[in-house]
Amino acid sequence: MKYLLTLLFLPLLAYAEPATLLRASELKAQPASDAATVAQLAAEAAVDAGERNGGWVRVRTAAGAEGWVKMLALRYGGTGAAKKGDSGISQAINVARSGASGTQVTTGVRGLDEADIHTARPNPAELKKLEGYAESKQGSAGFAESGKLKAQRVEYPK
Amino acid sequence: MKAMIWGLLFCAGTANAQFNLDRLNINKLIDTTKNVVKATTDIAEPEEIQIGKDVASRLLGAAPLAKDENLQRYVNRVGRWLASQTERPDLPWQFGVMEAPQLNAFAVPGGTIFVTRGLVEKMKSEAELAGVLAHEISHVLRKHHLKAIQKGAQTQLAGDALNQALRNQNAQVREKLVSFGSEMYTRGLDKGDELEADRYGVVIAARAGYDSYGLPAVLQTLQAMNATDSALALMFKTHPAPGERLASLGDTMQPTLDAYAKQPQLADRFLSTLRK
Repeated sequence: MKYLLTLLFLPLLAYAEPATLLRASELKAQPASDAATVAQLAAEAAVDAGERNGGWVRVRTAAGAEGWVKMLALRYGGTGAAKKGDSGISQAINVARSGASGTQVTTGVRGLDEADIHTARPNPAELKKLEGYAESKQGSAGFAESGKLKAQRVEYPK
Repeated sequence: MKAMIWGLLFCAGTANAQFNLDRLNINKLIDTTKNVVKATTDIAEPEEIQIGKDVASRLLGAAPLAKDENLQRYVNRVGRWLASQTERPDLPWQFGVMEAPQLNAFAVPGGTIFVTRGLVEKMKSEAELAGVLAHEISHVLRKHHLKAIQKGAQTQLAGDALNQALRNQNAQVREKLVSFGSEMYTRGLDKGDELEADRYGVVIAARAGYDSYGLPAVLQTLQAMNATDSALALMFKTHPAPGERLASLGDTMQPTLDAYAKQPQLADRFLSTLRK
């Protein structure tokens, strides 16, 4: 039963994002360069992408092959039409927009659109609150330690 | 120190100008004037911090802080830890989540960083938050906005007016400067500055011990969204497309990304803070 459920739901849950390969890539059995190659994938091949492991993402091809490709070899989102719709804000804002054009003038919706920044007045009370939330260097070090984060030297690119 | 030199130059310039005018020592006058103008091209740190506070106050007038003290303190811990790994570890760094549905983040000169709740809610781990904060920290580190504000101000204000504005001696001109600074966030920086902040951001997140793929993961989330989504309008207007940013990171940062890809993502700590 458990197995059946897994079969039913795994494809839906694990490979949720449509993506396209930016370049020809090897489909690897494990998230590592030296892992066995499951298949050769052509540039522009459509895949469904799932979980990430380091720099690798688990994908399933249209032919049903499963494995791992480099994360930066993937372009997320399907074709324009397949992309997900608006996150819901535009509807809310459009309702509040004045005029038939649906652009430029927003009314009544708080947020961070261009117009909101143009018309903003200073808010010293919020600035004071912001200062109150600040963390000390020492405090942040303890927080990092509890997350097992270790600082190290890494050079900037040239 | 810079402020001191600058102050000295300014005083010396004024004094010399007064004495030398009588003697019509034109060459010397021109030299000193040059010095004063040149000195103003490098805004000193105390002035940077003060301009930043004024600009931050203005941005908070557009969108207030999210009323979630737990989340605000959490973001400050992540951000302060990242900033401590940089070449400007002792700026008065402060981080704020703005209550806005739009997806965006802002770096203000002097060490103030904002991220919108809309963007935070799209993230899946602390490493992703760290990637975005590290990108913004890089803007402060490299003084991208400060230089742009200065450049803009110099074309609009005469050298001495900019000087006065910075020294708080001319409220009207100062207001202009802060206005100009705030407007920066609707026009955006040069593309090169954004791509540089991506590269530096990856390095700073790796230095702080985070999975280096946090920032690329957020960029892929943005890429997967509908580009015409109104919540992305301002960010997409002011930044290169996510695909271009990812390609640039792939071209320049692949070795660094892979070397630190297995560091902690801290998804649980992030998600439990967000949902509290």
